[in-house]
Amino acid sequence: MKRYTKVLTAAFVLVLLIGVCGGFVHASSKVRIALVLASTTDDMAWSQSMYEALLALQNQLGKDKMELVVSERLGNPVDAGAAIRQYADQGFDIVIAHGAQFQAVVFEVAEDFPKTSFAYGSAFKTAPNVFAYEPLAQQGAYLNGMLAGFMTKTGTVAIVGPVESGDAVKYNYGFGQGVIAANPKANFRIAYTGSFGDVVGAGELAKVHMDAGADFLSGSAQQAVGAVRACAERPGVYWMATDMDQSSLAPDTVLAAQVYHWEKLVADMLELRKQGVMGGKHLYLSFVDDTLEFRISPRLADKIPADVIEKIEKAKQEIIDGTLVVELPTGTK
Amino acid sequence: MQGVVISDVIVGILATGVRLLAPFLFASLGEMFCQRSGVFNLGVEGIMMMGAFADFFVTLRLGNPYLGVVMAILTGIVLGLLMALISVTMQAPQGISGIGLHMFCWGLSGLLFRVYVGFITTIEGFKPLPIPGLASIPILGPILFQHNWLVYLSILLVPISAFVLFKTNWGLKVRAVGVTPQAADTLGVNVNAVRYQCLMLGGALAGLAGAFLTVGQANMYADNITAGRGFIAVALVYFGRWNPVGILLGSLLFSIMNSLQLWIQVLGINFPYEFAVILPYVVTIAALAVAVKHVWAPTALGKPFRRESI
Amino acid sequence: MELQEGLRIKNVEMRGIVKTFPGVLANDHVDIDVQAGEVLALLGENGAGKTTLMKVLYGLYRLDRGEILINGEPVSISSPRDAIDLGIGMVHQHFMLVPSLTVTENVVLGLKSSRGPLLDLEPAAKRIEALASKYNLAVDPYAPVWQLSVGEQQRVEIIKALYRGAELLIMDEPTAVLTPQEADELIGVMRGMADSGRAIILITHKLNEVMAVSDRVTVLRNGRLVDTVLTKDADVKLLARMMVGRDIPQTRRTDETSSGEPVLVLDNVWADSDKGPPALRGLSLEVREGEILGIAGVSGNGQRELAQVIAGLRKVSSGSVRLKDKDMTNSTPAKMIQAGFGYIPEDRIADGIVRSFSVEENLILKDHCKPPFSHGIFLQKDAIGKFADEMVDTYDIRTPTTDTQASHLSGGNIQRLILARDMSRNPACLLSCYPSRGLDIAATEYVRKKLLDVRAQGCAIILISEELEEILNLSDRVAVLYEGQIVKVAGVDDVTLDEIGLLMAGASSAESDGSGE
Repeated sequence: MKRYTKVLTAAFVLVLLIGVCGGFVHASSKVRIALVLASTTDDMAWSQSMYEALLALQNQLGKDKMELVVSERLGNPVDAGAAIRQYADQGFDIVIAHGAQFQAVVFEVAEDFPKTSFAYGSAFKTAPNVFAYEPLAQQGAYLNGMLAGFMTKTGTVAIVGPVESGDAVKYNYGFGQGVIAANPKANFRIAYTGSFGDVVGAGELAKVHMDAGADFLSGSAQQAVGAVRACAERPGVYWMATDMDQSSLAPDTVLAAQVYHWEKLVADMLELRKQGVMGGKHLYLSFVDDTLEFRISPRLADKIPADVIEKIEKAKQEIIDGTLVVELPTGTK
Repeated sequence: MQGVVISDVIVGILATGVRLLAPFLFASLGEMFCQRSGVFNLGVEGIMMMGAFADFFVTLRLGNPYLGVVMAILTGIVLGLLMALISVTMQAPQGISGIGLHMFCWGLSGLLFRVYVGFITTIEGFKPLPIPGLASIPILGPILFQHNWLVYLSILLVPISAFVLFKTNWGLKVRAVGVTPQAADTLGVNVNAVRYQCLMLGGALAGLAGAFLTVGQANMYADNITAGRGFIAVALVYFGRWNPVGILLGSLLFSIMNSLQLWIQVLGINFPYEFAVILPYVVTIAALAVAVKHVWAPTALGKPFRRESI
Repeated sequence: MELQEGLRIKNVEMRGIVKTFPGVLANDHVDIDVQAGEVLALLGENGAGKTTLMKVLYGLYRLDRGEILINGEPVSISSPRDAIDLGIGMVHQHFMLVPSLTVTENVVLGLKSSRGPLLDLEPAAKRIEALASKYNLAVDPYAPVWQLSVGEQQRVEIIKALYRGAELLIMDEPTAVLTPQEADELIGVMRGMADSGRAIILITHKLNEVMAVSDRVTVLRNGRLVDTVLTKDADVKLLARMMVGRDIPQTRRTDETSSGEPVLVLDNVWADSDKGPPALRGLSLEVREGEILGIAGVSGNGQRELAQVIAGLRKVSSGSVRLKDKDMTNSTPAKMIQAGFGYIPEDRIADGIVRSFSVEENLILKDHCKPPFSHGIFLQKDAIGKFADEMVDTYDIRTPTTDTQASHLSGGNIQRLILARDMSRNPACLLSCYPSRGLDIAATEYVRKKLLDVRAQGCAIILISEELEEILNLSDRVAVLYEGQIVKVAGVDDVTLDEIGLLMAGASSAESDGSGE
């Protein structure tokens, strides 16, 4: 009996390991990047956007010039800390901990590995070998919000938020300003699921928003895909995407998307390292260098009046040249 | 709050609450049979994940959500059998076996999704099936009779479970082996067989609960789709005092509180969202603390059965 | 005699039964047989192998060697199901009932229902009522079992077996938990079942029961068959000798009372019961050096609460407890132990030992933090082992090793362990609650002898017992407890059994004085 139990346990652990780790390790003499994710590389949101950017960068540089390993499902910062330390210990050049919640563990490990560069975000606090990065999510959010404000028929625009922190706060705040700028009478509602990953909960929250009259919805983090799916069930309801273009999930529902292009940001980090800068920089995704993209669904573009598109383009230009500043809530910097 | 009619809100809260009820009811009623027979199955969360995946995958490939539900049930039965093998036949400690099963299923569902699907995609789930006549009753209609068929099934399962547990021969055996298995054994009841049957039934219902998440609620699949609902279902069995009606009340309270907090947030009522999201948990625990009364807990819960040293 | 038609069992025979457990030969080539219409008493001390033999017959244990024959045909019994199908029923010493279920549900558990998968509780309840009235086993079929008294629960057990058509009924020490009156009723029931053509095997170590109900007696000792005799040819003395293997003199106090100063004094003590109303109502008593004070009374008159108050386990609401002139009112068990108090609790397994601890750990429970057993924070394994070996020798505790888990010992040996622990501490005062309850003859006499030994050393002893004979044989003085008060204290030689009986039943002291003299 005991022996069977052992064999079974071993089998369990094996399957578990295969399930959790999707990484592979190769020889050195090239830049080695490790990516630590709270969710998975296929979450259709925050994590997938970074993962795809790194893959694109790898294609661009060539597999012999850049090595990439990924650890997924490390939502618990303690587990993530163990992975981060292990990668540093294995001599990786850059360890990217893709989440604001990893700040404490990143700083702790970074002290012990001065020759390794660490990067994490959305955040702004840096150390000599720690890069902080953040998308200026409020800017694309503003445009998303404007579009929703102009287009809403019910006058109610709503957010399906994950947890009130980091990127989500900036996004929601910017989105709200855009809605009100376009439609001062609009009813703007924010609610949170309390979870980054609960797609079912997000779907239910979206349904409640729609039952209560919302016809344009938006929201960040991987939970949002559940809300996208729920919106797709109801004709006349549209979704404004962020992190990634989620229109593949619901082509007739996702009207526009703020898309993150991390490739350039990571390439900048590599360049800085070549110059001997190990960290200490605060890097952005923004419209200025096209690392932030505002994309209107080509399939649905004809539903948007030309003057609306014009106004949004104008707002985007004003954001770029600095005449329009999207406010951030006090306390988030 | 402008533009919202208060009665619509109440109907909305209750209707959403009833919809949220189904996965908890399926999983809790299944777990109730397990615990009534003396086995504590903490693997419910994992079985739900696998059920959700099995349903999603079959529905995606074959385009038939009914086949998906069947597959989810079969998957649940197999995993219930696995739990029975470990905890009943091999007599491994039940708590740790359940956690092990959960982790196994979590890993396996992630692996299967990565290998056989690879990206987030959507499926067509079950559409609401308004019950003719009843659905048009004001107030009650939208609350109770405009859901998909799985919601109706989950509510029907409450009286069915009560009937099976209290009015059938098999139910009597289940109630006996969870309290004094020795007594049942001396009367020729095969204690371990009853526990196997309960774990398979519990697995089937947990699989169905998982299926509901994919084809009844989300119409898609994502990693860790259960998000702790299986563990809540286990807690609701305690809340319901191993009684189907108690479980219905507990699930209903939890679901309606959840729905209420969603509506509170959506309507912008000035209430910190952090408190809103924990509201269902706090209210349920408070109700549990207040509603203490004498009950016969399955006293043999967690104890593997062996006839005295032979 | 009403012989029933269609009974299948004429006789049951077990031949050459051998059953071993790891390290123990429980049954060594035992032969017994029982005929329809008779009561066979299976007599033996605790651990003689009676229950093991019957569990083999009921399919709970698999036999190593030997065979079972019914009406001369060999049968194979590998589970209770087989036994039930062959018409064998068993009433276990520890009841096999599901407390949360009703009587009827307990009875039909595991049976096929006349309504297929659905329960048929109504007709079953009717049948139960019929059986109950036929065999004088009054019980409400709809009552949940946890509400029933012990006697009623036993009736449910018997009905369970009869309902399944048991023609051979095995009863394992059925009177151990019953009041004398219930025991008498049960003896009548057994007789009635035998007269209707069934076979009864009665496991017991009570000789008076054997004499009262059985037709034949099979005596086991140390797993072996001693002999089978006809009851009418036997007497109590003969059976006792067969069971124990030697003559047992009855232990009783012989020397005169020579008591000294009061050691334990309770003055006007009031204490609540678990349920609320006071269980002790102004109770006063004193126990002196070198005497045994017997507490007589019908159980439930405050014995439990009195013992707990003295041991420091229950708060008194008013009154005082003094031990050796020190006020110990509402003291703690630890302080009482330090002050020289010893305690032989009523429930020796739950309160007397830690079941999962070894024999030696249990032996030092009260002194584990004192030298020589500990030094600083460390236990001294050698000193503990030496002490334990000494105790095992002195008190004749039968255990494979001193490392054996205490729960593996028999009841008598657990009691010896407790005696060893508490008596070796030379207590000034010893509270002894039902010290011989459930023990066999040899163990009972041993316990009584030890109590007299510590009395001789000057210990003040309180003896709470339900056996008046025990109290009268051992005590110097007897106190009668009735409704939480001591209604009379007298020298043992100054009262009669009748007088005590009347006081126990609530007759006032004055009345009983009148009738006693």
